[in-house]
Amino acid sequence: MKNIILILFLFASVVVSANDNQMLIDEANKKYNEASYQEAADLYTKVLMNGFESSKLYYNLGNSYFKLKDMASAILYYEKAKKLSPGNEDVLFNLKIANNNIVDKIEIVPELFYIRWWNSLTHFFTVDQWGVVSLISFFLALAFALTFLLVGIVWIKKSSFWLGILFMVLAISSYSLANERFSLFKKDHEAIVFTPTVTVKSSPSDKSIDLFVIHSGTKVQITDNVGDWFEIKIANGSVGWILKNEIKKI
Amino acid sequence: MRKPLISFNIENLRMKKIFIALFQILLWCTTAAMAQDVQFTALAKTAVLVGENFQLQYKINAEGTGFQGPALSDFQVVSGPGTSTSSSVQIINGQVSRDVSYVFTYILRGVKEGTFTIPAATISYQGKQYASNSFTIKVLKGNSSSSSSGSGQSAQSSNENDVFIKAYISNNTPVQGEQVIITYKIFTTIPISNIDASKISSFPGFWATDLLSKQEAGPQSREMVNGKEYVTAEIKKFALVPQRNGVITIDAGEINCVAQIRTQAQKRNSDPFFDSFFNDPFFNSRYQNVEKKLMSNPLKIDVKPLPGNDKPDFFSGAVGSFQFDSQIDRTEVKANEAITLKYTLKGKGNIELIDPPMVNFPTDFEVYDPEVKNSIKSDANGVSGVRTFEYLIIPRNPGNYTIKSVQFAYFDISKREYVSTTTPEYKINVSKGDGSSSSAVYSGSTSQEDIKYIGKDIRHIKLSPYDLRPSGSFFFKSGTYYFLLALPLILFILVLIIWHKNVERRSNVALMKNRRATKVSRKRLQAAFTYLKESKENEFYIEISKALWGYLSDKFTIPRAELSVENVKERLMKKSVSEEIINQFIETLNNTEFARFAPGNKSQNMENIYNEALSLIIKIERELK
Repeated sequence: MKNIILILFLFASVVVSANDNQMLIDEANKKYNEASYQEAADLYTKVLMNGFESSKLYYNLGNSYFKLKDMASAILYYEKAKKLSPGNEDVLFNLKIANNNIVDKIEIVPELFYIRWWNSLTHFFTVDQWGVVSLISFFLALAFALTFLLVGIVWIKKSSFWLGILFMVLAISSYSLANERFSLFKKDHEAIVFTPTVTVKSSPSDKSIDLFVIHSGTKVQITDNVGDWFEIKIANGSVGWILKNEIKKI
Repeated sequence: MRKPLISFNIENLRMKKIFIALFQILLWCTTAAMAQDVQFTALAKTAVLVGENFQLQYKINAEGTGFQGPALSDFQVVSGPGTSTSSSVQIINGQVSRDVSYVFTYILRGVKEGTFTIPAATISYQGKQYASNSFTIKVLKGNSSSSSSGSGQSAQSSNENDVFIKAYISNNTPVQGEQVIITYKIFTTIPISNIDASKISSFPGFWATDLLSKQEAGPQSREMVNGKEYVTAEIKKFALVPQRNGVITIDAGEINCVAQIRTQAQKRNSDPFFDSFFNDPFFNSRYQNVEKKLMSNPLKIDVKPLPGNDKPDFFSGAVGSFQFDSQIDRTEVKANEAITLKYTLKGKGNIELIDPPMVNFPTDFEVYDPEVKNSIKSDANGVSGVRTFEYLIIPRNPGNYTIKSVQFAYFDISKREYVSTTTPEYKINVSKGDGSSSSAVYSGSTSQEDIKYIGKDIRHIKLSPYDLRPSGSFFFKSGTYYFLLALPLILFILVLIIWHKNVERRSNVALMKNRRATKVSRKRLQAAFTYLKESKENEFYIEISKALWGYLSDKFTIPRAELSVENVKERLMKKSVSEEIINQFIETLNNTEFARFAPGNKSQNMENIYNEALSLIIKIERELK
């Protein structure tokens, strides 16, 4: 019986077509423009509950929470939007403003230039876009391989050989880029603090020494977990342990 | 040349005379001073009462410097040391004498009973130290004892009811911001002087304005209190504006004054006649100055909060009754010309506390801080007056601008409600300025300016398309992805296989043909041979040429249609057939054509051609092996 209900529920949720969700978002946008931000946020959340997501949806939800002065939620959803489309300028802009409105101002450890370049390269496309790039370049590589094998004319043979190799390299590298970002995505390794004030401990125990205090809205990196505790790392490199229920994963 | 020299001499002579005169005067002075003895003496009463003020004087008859007073630890120093000088010059028969006296005065007060020694003070005159005499002072018991030490019949004429102060408040329950007036009044039946009310100056929780100017003493009047007639005067009067609500206590105010207390002198018993006369208070009273400290009653003020329900947003705390309006000197200007916009606030209440109005100027205008002018009267009824805020604005760019209306609200005390006024909106038309005036300001720079950022906000939400998809789903590594990845690979392999097959098949056909070539040609030659036997000339030659061409085509995989006598050499060359064979082949073909129509024995000719063709094929076969 339970299974049937579950199946029915799943079925219903699939039946709720993208069209209904579009209407929900349009409604939410209207509410947002009328400055009823709470209602707008509720409607956006409803779409999420229906099992759909998109970068724009997260962005709009983040905006609603920003207007409601709930910075932690705003940052959470901006980060989610950023995760889906990492290079989006509007998302980055609003995230920056939201981060200026939280308590903690953490000096970010500057990254080495090649890591920065690497990040800006991997952030150029989303996971799926990298996937498409790998598909196209793989196809082209095979096409050139075929040309190389079948055409008897020497210059065509030569150039298609080199182009084939080039596209093969491109295919492999874009695949691995996509794969890296994909695995990061699946790991949920970043989170936002939601408790107003959190004391970070030196080990996963209440009795351990207090190391430092962070406040809601601060982004942390989850590096380990033990029982109810997460080991976290903040942007300036400090590491400590906090309870799992004090943060929400991006 | 001579003249200036003479005049110089005359000048010199005059100077000399003046010098001599001055010198003589100086000499007199010094000798006069030198002639005197320096005397440095201390003077004071030898017996005083506890609490009585008395003078202690140090007198020196020279211009002493560096006066060092005695240690006066046993007395309270009320004031001092104060310095006074007097000098007189006498000239008698050319004899000049000069008197100088310097007096250093202390006012002391005896604190406790006993006999105290006042040590010597020192002063220096012309490098010499002089010390005064030291002396003792007896401090006797206070008033009562002093009177008892008299004839024992004089009574103290001062008591608490003779002089006191009282504080009044005009309104015990004002609203926050409403001015109330506090008055300190002195009641007295005895003459008083030196009223010092400077300690009444601060009122925590209130903004206070002194309503009586410092020198002005309040008008005196007479009042009956408890059946006693008092002279009253207002000493201090403040307008107080409560800054917060709740019960605020004003501490008792302290006033010091000197009261003249009448003490009756010793009765003169000697003469009955005079007795009545001298015992009359008019003659017989002695007045003693007594310093008195008077405390007023503390006051409690219950400050009510302003009603909050219909408070306008732009209410800024003005309480009273006001008029608010604005004036602008012109609305048609050229760029870079100044406009004066004046807001005037007139009325009664906490006018001094009102901030300049918030005016929304167009952002392109250069606005200077407003000049605030007060013309505020504080009289016995409180504070009222006019407060003006004058803005100087300079439009920098031509255009039509609007200065929005300014709203001002105050709480009307008498009506107990908020009253708001709105100033008119000004439309300002700025035309292009004179080139000269603008260049005077901008000194020839271009009229470009940076974009001004007025506010900061997040960017707006995004509209459709929303690119919705089931959460957590990715195209990457999905089934479709792998399918699309595999598809070209499969296609690639398929194409390769098909191509290979095709090539193989084609090469097989060639091989077959190649293999068959000898056979076919041999068959044809055999057929030709039968035609030779039967002497069928036409058929024989057709068969021979077929055999040759067919062999060539099959052997070297050249389509039959592409072969002709004209291009056969070229074609064969391409297939890298040796030139010898080609030549032989062409010769045989030619012979075949030629032999058909050649004279002579026809059967002999046919036989020759047959042999020639056979040997050619054999030769090629051999060569290719």
